[in-house]
Amino acid sequence: MKKLTDIIVAENLSKSYGDRKAVDALTLHIQEGEIFGFLGPNGAGKTTTIRLLTGILKPDQGEVVIDQRLLSQQKSEVAQVIGVIPESRGFYNWMAATEYLSFFAHLYGVKEDILEERVEALLLQVGLLKRKHSTIGTFSLGMRQRLGLARALINNPKILLLDEPTLGLDPQGQEDIQQLLKKLNGEGVTIFLSSHLLNEVSNLCSRIGIINKGKLVAEGTIDELGKMADLQDKTLTQIFLYLTSNGGEKDV
Amino acid sequence: MEVKKMFKYIWKKELQGELYTWKSMLWLVITSLLFSFTSYLLLTDRELSLLDQTELMLLLSQIIIVVAFLIITIDASSIITAEFENETAETIFLAPLSIKDFLLGKFLASLTLWGLLFIVSFPYIIVASSGSHLTTAFIGYTALLGTLGIIGVVAFIFAISLLLRSTKNTLTTSLITLLVLATPALFSTTLKNNALSQLFSQIDPIDNIFSSLDNVLVDYQTSLLQNWRFILSLVMFCVLMLMFLVFATRKFNEQGVIKND
Repeated sequence: MKKLTDIIVAENLSKSYGDRKAVDALTLHIQEGEIFGFLGPNGAGKTTTIRLLTGILKPDQGEVVIDQRLLSQQKSEVAQVIGVIPESRGFYNWMAATEYLSFFAHLYGVKEDILEERVEALLLQVGLLKRKHSTIGTFSLGMRQRLGLARALINNPKILLLDEPTLGLDPQGQEDIQQLLKKLNGEGVTIFLSSHLLNEVSNLCSRIGIINKGKLVAEGTIDELGKMADLQDKTLTQIFLYLTSNGGEKDV
Repeated sequence: MEVKKMFKYIWKKELQGELYTWKSMLWLVITSLLFSFTSYLLLTDRELSLLDQTELMLLLSQIIIVVAFLIITIDASSIITAEFENETAETIFLAPLSIKDFLLGKFLASLTLWGLLFIVSFPYIIVASSGSHLTTAFIGYTALLGTLGIIGVVAFIFAISLLLRSTKNTLTTSLITLLVLATPALFSTTLKNNALSQLFSQIDPIDNIFSSLDNVLVDYQTSLLQNWRFILSLVMFCVLMLMFLVFATRKFNEQGVIKND
């Protein structure tokens, strides 16, 4: 079932909300060290997939293996190797940025002797060091996104699962986050990136999966997806629109 | 990386949150004002000032228990549900944190608030029992019975919080339940002769606390043996509520952090 290089494996994953199938028999193999883009229209099942991959939701059927650990049996061990920016963007508004990261560092078992250093380094990395003593309630949306990314990195994860990490950021903020993700990927971090921004995905991702109505309708590099779509204009936007339309679904 | 005793970080976070947002401080100020107002009435009101010292101590102990139950019910009703309503639950459960540690941390925070409320009531207890040989019993029994009652009530509220995941619904359910539990304590002596109300009184935690305090402060039956029936009933209440919490935790684990609506 699992290749040696696959760091995230989802086999036949399904999840329903009542009668509606949010994720339908989804199979994914993400290789170690890649940036995998996960695209889909609104309500296609992207967030549910991330929640299933992180163990926040339990699948109706199927299994998830993260870094050779079965999620259903080793959730705590899996939590130690993943960093997540979830769709829920809640923060403890009364906490200062350093307190917030220290709290999560404690939950992830970061040792006291390196904790302060780790928190400062992450705040520097996401450009929030100058605001380290400010309470989160005073932060803009962009600053909260950066702090969320710092939190996702607090346990020095091997895998990052990001649900719209640049949502609400200005172009400079988006560029900064993209550069940081490239840098982390260069250091060996595998990234699973769910995004609406097609240019962000085409800039960053080595492979792309497209989900529509809970089903994975296509998976591959942009070139491979272009061949599947059989279009003259092979921009990611055209490919995406084709593959998520009914005709595309039928063809693929 | 070392992952153990995570509950202490949840506990610390809750205490910081209560202090930073002035929530606990507000409760302590309200408690002080209530106790001061009660003391003023006991000293100045024509009829109340004629109460025996034992009756006065009983009244004060009952007021301490009722105020603490009310404040802790209101406070505990949002301590878990706020994590869902403010969308912080997902990030917290993405960490390698067990639901047991999560609940224990929150539980200790609620018990800490009870401890603080009890400390605020301390000067009033000392003044009310001044010159009486019952000071130690007054303090000891209020602490013991109050703690047992609070453990049961908080376990019930946490269970409801995990099942409903809404502050408004949890608070409403908890306050109605508290009112139902307080009802036998308000029964007149004639009504208490009724077999059904007697049975209700025997299993009701608030009535048992009040009966035990009456036994200690008015009838001078201060030993634990003389109060075992009330204490056993309270322990049973705690065990039942903790079992309900275990059931709610299992339900929560089945449903997942994000409920399928």
